[in-house]
Amino acid sequence: MAERILAMVLAGGKGERLYPLTQDRAKPAVPFGGIYRIIDFTLSNCLNSGVRRIDLLTQYKSLSLNRHIFQGWNIFNPQLDEFINLIPAQQRVGEDWYLGTADAIYQNIYVLQQDRPDLILILSGDHIYKMNYREMIAYHLEKKADLTAAVIEMDKSLSPQFGVLQVDEEFRIIGFEEKPKVPKTIPGYPQLILANMGVYVFNTEILARRVIEDAKDRDSQHDFGRNVIPAMVGQDRVFAYSFQDENRKQAKYWRDIGTLDAYYEASMDLVAVDPQFNLYDSNWPIRTYYPPLPPAKTVFEEHGSNRVGVSFSSIVSSGCIISGGRVYRSILSPNVRIHSYSEVQDSILMEGVEVGRGARVRRAIIDKRIRIPAGFQIGFNLEEDARKFNLTQSGVVVISKGTILA
Amino acid sequence: MEKVLCIDDDLSLLRLYQEELVEEGYKVVLAKDGKEGLAKFEKEKPHVVVMDIRMPVMDGIETLTAMLGKDRQVPVILNTAYPQYKENFMTWGAEAYVVKSSDLTELKQKIRDILDKRKKMGSQKE
Repeated sequence: MAERILAMVLAGGKGERLYPLTQDRAKPAVPFGGIYRIIDFTLSNCLNSGVRRIDLLTQYKSLSLNRHIFQGWNIFNPQLDEFINLIPAQQRVGEDWYLGTADAIYQNIYVLQQDRPDLILILSGDHIYKMNYREMIAYHLEKKADLTAAVIEMDKSLSPQFGVLQVDEEFRIIGFEEKPKVPKTIPGYPQLILANMGVYVFNTEILARRVIEDAKDRDSQHDFGRNVIPAMVGQDRVFAYSFQDENRKQAKYWRDIGTLDAYYEASMDLVAVDPQFNLYDSNWPIRTYYPPLPPAKTVFEEHGSNRVGVSFSSIVSSGCIISGGRVYRSILSPNVRIHSYSEVQDSILMEGVEVGRGARVRRAIIDKRIRIPAGFQIGFNLEEDARKFNLTQSGVVVISKGTILA
Repeated sequence: MEKVLCIDDDLSLLRLYQEELVEEGYKVVLAKDGKEGLAKFEKEKPHVVVMDIRMPVMDGIETLTAMLGKDRQVPVILNTAYPQYKENFMTWGAEAYVVKSSDLTELKQKIRDILDKRKKMGSQKE
């Protein structure tokens, strides 16, 4: 394909509903699946689709994200016209932060002017899915579209959570509603809706024109889904592209990790016997930063005294030592220490967490480098935990970075 | 009185604009480059800006970007001898693009159109 393509990844999401995991980091930088950050999935999609010219638009709490990109994604070759640029909100156009997704592009119009790609791929840095963008781009060209928006079929009961697109028989978008209670369903499928995934292919000139128009509209919230696409319907060639999952599973997998419970569920899916999201597909590698760590290790098998280092149905990352404790259905990020006689169940332990001797942890998310003292219990008395820590709606205990337990 | 700010490094052109636009009944403010134009823009709060692109110190594109940063609806008419700047996305935030000509009819018409449009929008809001 000779088209010059630029991916612009919106990575400025505050992720307020993921608090306290987003206390010190932007949502795309939240760890996921032991060794990954949420942004890795979108960037791996780019890499696996041969899209190697990427601008990452950041704003809030971007230090952690910047560090991760420098460490893990410094793999593009400028001599081959490949790059990944981190572009913070630079306030070149006024003193506002990005007011919305469309405004993030508007404020970076000069980037488009300098680069003049034929097509712009607009992506969100906080979704988890596997998608070959080249197929979507081919579809965009075939339809001679000005804009193509990726959609995924969902049960219509979920419509209050999504932007819902209405299409004609040719999949041309003829309507758009944000989070409708009574949605327009797919022609011929009264139970299904087409949810907007926030993945767009734009012809560059149309994008520039429409975001400038949007920027001048005082009543706009400067959002692609809410404002720009509805304004384009009827005047431009706007098509929906039905998401083709590269995950090679029955159900199409796409998650906006919007809440702590959604985060917990999506993480726990990974340790299921047959997860919905497959990390082990060699045709679709997920790249990340992985430091030079020693292998994971288990020690002690004193069955008589119950000092046994063992893990069941779990992800155990490099550098972990399970030393005389037991781990069930959990995700251990690198460098976690599990000490003797302790027990961890159904939990997510981030990098460097230490579980003290005889401590017990159940249904919890423990942020980086928390030390759980000997004998400490988490997740066994939710009333008490709720007083001291964050508790999700479904009762998962979240211990934020920097918390001192005693 | 409706106020027009003209920014151009060609001083004879500025004098011509002043004469012609005063005759049309506007109050005219002049600036000889983008930097001075931006200062006058903030001080004088003009209703319309007529601006050249190729200027010393601060060019018209940079100045337009700065003005848009203050007010995204700022009514700027870019007035240049070079039609090829039209290709530049950065000029698309302007309200109009008029290629320089010894005949000022088009420019005057654009100024009138913009002012009328603003008046209409203003009265709709009230």
